[in-house]
Amino acid sequence: DALLPAPQNISILSTNMKHFLTWSPVIIQRETVRYSVEFQGEYERDYANESWIPICECSFITATVCNITEDISATVAYKLRVRADVGTRRSEWGTLKGFFNRITTSLTPPVMKVTADGYHLLVELEDMGPAFQFCVLHWKKGQESRMQQKVVKEVDSVVHLDTMEAGTDYCVKAQTYVEVINRSSDFSQTQCVRTQGGRSVWLV
Amino acid sequence: SVTEIRSGFTAIKANIQARDPVRTLSILSYPHSLHKVQSSGRCCIAHNLFNFYVDKVFKHCKTEDSYINRKISSIANSFLSMKRKLGQCHEENKCMCGQESTEKFKQILANYEGLNVTSAAIKSLGELDILLDWMEKSR
Repeated sequence: DALLPAPQNISILSTNMKHFLTWSPVIIQRETVRYSVEFQGEYERDYANESWIPICECSFITATVCNITEDISATVAYKLRVRADVGTRRSEWGTLKGFFNRITTSLTPPVMKVTADGYHLLVELEDMGPAFQFCVLHWKKGQESRMQQKVVKEVDSVVHLDTMEAGTDYCVKAQTYVEVINRSSDFSQTQCVRTQGGRSVWLV
Repeated sequence: SVTEIRSGFTAIKANIQARDPVRTLSILSYPHSLHKVQSSGRCCIAHNLFNFYVDKVFKHCKTEDSYINRKISSIANSFLSMKRKLGQCHEENKCMCGQESTEKFKQILANYEGLNVTSAAIKSLGELDILLDWMEKSR
């Protein structure tokens, strides 16, 4: 039996604190190749004899992607590896080049929806998980120097930002903040609304 | 973060505490609770305890259960990350150890060494909520 090649092109896709390990498929004609993933945190490297820990949800899978979010749960450098199995044949480990630290996740601006309910300026924010807080800036159009800030730690309903004057345009933008990595996203697009006798009018 | 450590610990607490054979003893709370430590000694105790868990405890907590092992790894790596932060305070002399906190930590080590290493490690891991509660109260 020829040795099974190790998986190649191993890389991480990490966006908004969701982390995925991906690799290129190992192609063996008329065979089903299965893959298994293991991780090693800094603790394992420095204090536990460089041991590796299997991710059982990604043991003997046919997919070439593994959700490692739950195991990458500290802001330290992790190593990751994956190997292939076909029947009794097993490849060497393919190891991610370098390390992965969640501090490098890419943070996208939050999705938000700004509305006026009568004279109340409201914003609805996308729930991005417990690690996320939001910094919401709001101001009267043309008075950018008098921006007000509201920090939203938990997204469970619509957030009340301000009580508006009739016939005035109000604008809002927001960014996320992730405390465990001490980083923020860019700001979202600005959204503006105006009250006209109790009806909200979108002004983007 | 403490929140992440707490959530990781909550997921395995019942399982770990069920493995603790010695219910009549406490490692962190005997003879006095952590809550009796004066505020001036808290950083010292926290710094020493993080070192204690990373250096002595986690490595002796391996189980036959892969899920439990993954959660212990998650907690251990979070401890390592926080140990580093506390280490910085220690280096900047913001984490001084007075007699009381030194004595308190010595007592914890004596409690630990009074048991065989695996029982002591599992018991210490099972008492993590005592440490987490104390840390959150001391914030």
